[in-house]
Amino acid sequence: MAHAGSTKDGQQVQSKKATFFTIFFILAVLTVIEVFVPQVYSAEWNSHTKMLLLCGLAISKATLVGLYFMHLKWEKPWLKYIALMPVYMGVFAIILMLETVYRQVGR
Amino acid sequence: MSAEAAMAHAALGHDDAHGHDDVPDDAHFGHATGGKIAMWMFIAQDGMSFGGLLLAYALLRVHATDWPVPVHILGIGLTAFATFVLICSSVSMVLAVEAAQACDQKNLVKWLAVTIGGGLTFLGIQAYEYHHLVERGIGFSSSYLRETGTEVNDLFGSTFFAVTGFHGLHVLSGVIYLTCVLFKARTGKYTQGGISYSPVELVGLFWHFVDLVWILVFTFIYLL
Repeated sequence: MAHAGSTKDGQQVQSKKATFFTIFFILAVLTVIEVFVPQVYSAEWNSHTKMLLLCGLAISKATLVGLYFMHLKWEKPWLKYIALMPVYMGVFAIILMLETVYRQVGR
Repeated sequence: MSAEAAMAHAALGHDDAHGHDDVPDDAHFGHATGGKIAMWMFIAQDGMSFGGLLLAYALLRVHATDWPVPVHILGIGLTAFATFVLICSSVSMVLAVEAAQACDQKNLVKWLAVTIGGGLTFLGIQAYEYHHLVERGIGFSSSYLRETGTEVNDLFGSTFFAVTGFHGLHVLSGVIYLTCVLFKARTGKYTQGGISYSPVELVGLFWHFVDLVWILVFTFIYLL
């Protein structure tokens, strides 16, 4: 029985390692895509597409690091709430930016 | 859990290799140690410091009429490589934590050393980049592109060095922190079972945070 237990533990460790390497592969691919985005969307008229794509890629990568490498996926909700504290600041930043853009458009 | 029940639990192969049984289960934080909760609170505060810097950068840039396109001045290829190195070091850090949890001292020391190597490589690339930029005329207080003879908004250099420098100091702190943990790991301090691996997990959290922040800095300062 103990042997069965250790085999199960070994399989769990292997499966966790496979998850970490999958995340690493995804992060590497997203980084390559990120580097090419400014070249593909270099014109002034598609700068908003570039901004949205880059922000989306960066947030996706940061979320993957937080969830898997920092183990937030397996933590209790309160640790997740603490980790989300800087995100509230991000929301505040978006509101400020929108207000600034609104004022500039209104001029 | 009674002693008999604990023995039966262990005999069935359910003995918790991650030392969760050493920390009482809390309704809000589960089996997280006090150190882990404190590290997360520190990370949240530090995250807000970076958030403040990036917010200031964004507002200054939105209001500036002559902000240069960063990819025209900064070396994206080299920095993308530095980003890749930092992501690799995050993977080696994860493997170091796994090794500590499995009481595998040899692999713990190996993966910690690889992580430190990644951090030092990143710092080396950053030092080279700073030297190169200053030679081209991009400084902290004033910016002037020597090769084209064009003026660059001074705030471009100021914000670039302030944000990346603050992050670089975090990488340096992480390398020093990791080195201290590595020296103690060589004595077997973190591979004694139970929650003895906890300090490795804490330095891991800090290191992943440094990686996470760089992902955002790389996008906002270099690519956008």
